[in-house]
Amino acid sequence: MTVTSPELELIAPLPAIPRSPFPPLATLARRRLRLSARTPRELIVPLLTPILFALVIAPALKQALHTSNEYEAFVATGTIGLLIPLNTMFAGIGVLVDRESGAQRELLSAPISRALLVLANMAVALAVTALQVAVLIGAARARGIHFHITGTGMLWFLAAGSLFTIGMYGAAETLAARVPRTEEYVARVPVIAIVPWFLAGSLFPITALPNFLTWVARFLPLTHALALIRYGLLGDPRGLEEIWKLHDVAAMAGMSLVVVALFAAVLTAVGIRTFGRTAVR
Amino acid sequence: MNALRADTVAIEADELRKVYPGEVEAVRGLSFTVEPGEVFGLLGPNGAGKSTTVGMLTTTIVPTAGTARLAGYDVVRESIGARSITSVVFQDAVVDRSLSGRENVAIHASLWRVPSDEADARIGELAETLGLAELLERPVSTYSGGQRRRLEIARALVSRPRVLFLDEPTVGLDPRIRAELLDLIAGLRERGRTTILLTTHYLDEAERLCDRLAIIHEGEIVALGTPTALRADLGEKLVELRVTDDAPLVLEQLRARAIAGDDAFTVGSTITIPLHDGSAREAIAAIETSDVTVASITSRAPTLDDVYLRLTGGRLNAAA
Repeated sequence: MTVTSPELELIAPLPAIPRSPFPPLATLARRRLRLSARTPRELIVPLLTPILFALVIAPALKQALHTSNEYEAFVATGTIGLLIPLNTMFAGIGVLVDRESGAQRELLSAPISRALLVLANMAVALAVTALQVAVLIGAARARGIHFHITGTGMLWFLAAGSLFTIGMYGAAETLAARVPRTEEYVARVPVIAIVPWFLAGSLFPITALPNFLTWVARFLPLTHALALIRYGLLGDPRGLEEIWKLHDVAAMAGMSLVVVALFAAVLTAVGIRTFGRTAVR
Repeated sequence: MNALRADTVAIEADELRKVYPGEVEAVRGLSFTVEPGEVFGLLGPNGAGKSTTVGMLTTTIVPTAGTARLAGYDVVRESIGARSITSVVFQDAVVDRSLSGRENVAIHASLWRVPSDEADARIGELAETLGLAELLERPVSTYSGGQRRRLEIARALVSRPRVLFLDEPTVGLDPRIRAELLDLIAGLRERGRTTILLTTHYLDEAERLCDRLAIIHEGEIVALGTPTALRADLGEKLVELRVTDDAPLVLEQLRARAIAGDDAFTVGSTITIPLHDGSAREAIAAIETSDVTVASITSRAPTLDDVYLRLTGGRLNAAA
């Protein structure tokens, strides 16, 4: 092997400061997608538990509790509320890997806004989550679970699912920026991704909880997201009614969407700010 | 604006200071300028503040005080502009290991807005000249340390940076790969168009590659100049003697007899006496006729290590 010094033109003309954020955003998103595609466990592991709940546990509960077919659909949609937090928290591990492998330093030295590093990861987390939710719904339908999807319902579902995913990725990015090691990050995932799921009306209505916990559940963004998802996919407004105790379904759905949107906006802003503050010392 | 910046100083640091939480003052008011095309070295042991300085110049560390400009771009207020004209080869491995070499370089090119057809051509040329052509499609996880470091240099050059930062580029490499890399960097130096800021604690690297260098000790520049000028401060020759008695006391005796000057220094049981006037033979004869008990005595030309020892009281490689 012979190494020679580059005889190339080594200096570029002084560049104009780039303005459009989209080309670097696309580059960063492609990078993250490639890295994710080469670690298939990142895509498969978050799916396992929700699939298990939707396809095995829900039918088993239905049989054991002698409930209707409706309950299977209730749990299948409820597992979306587990899949989204699990997948976004797993996606956050990529940030830690970037930091621990050193790759983050190269990205930080690039002539781009550092918020793009967070937003590109978020875009990929959103795309992967969408794919996984589609797989979950497809598997549930194949198992004989029925959904009642209308055009408007699909919009409520997409809006709620997307905004909740964005918010949860903001949480993942914030946690990844604040904890020093992957082990500590993973240790906190159950508290963030799983505990709220049990309280947010995933397996049973929130009114079945003790009164105090019902009130707690009403403040969880996941409760609002799940109520909207069920309203969108099943045409079932009961989750919204349990939160708001009103009769105007559209108004309740709108208010819950505002809650989820605020959650997404705040967590995204916190995620970007925390990343910027911890990555650049 | 760009035309003005093209003619300006490549790197300008003015009273740069960094204090980390816990009042750890890593850099204490560094000031220096680097001209376009110059290879400038920051020489010092680990913990001297070299990497913190590079971090501030590459905008990954925020200065506590002071200013720095790269081709006129303020590293704090115009950080994206400053980053757009620089590339960094980091001390540690900074690559996506599961991606191929080509993908790693292409991502850099894309983030630095190199048009894709131009990037493809440059990746091919750089891979050829850096001996990476056969490796480019392989995952970087399969690369050896030297191959990975060459890839990182190719990646840094693909955007044709005006200022290239090489942060301890040869640390941890075996001697053969290190020699190859030094040849490569020397080649860049001879091309003379890219401004290079090199940090190192290896004296031979600094001597061979740098037009000028700053010796950093505990966050401060203690000497700045060309390697030749820095060595010249110690004269053409120096005498080094090892003594069995208390070395500082012996040095005082030698100074009292005008055998040693103010710039003589001790490290452990060794006394080093720069010779500005007179020959080494005369100095050795004078020492031997004094009542100092000497275990060994030699004369030799000064090195940058001697410069560093005199200024800081510690040996560069030992400190590193």
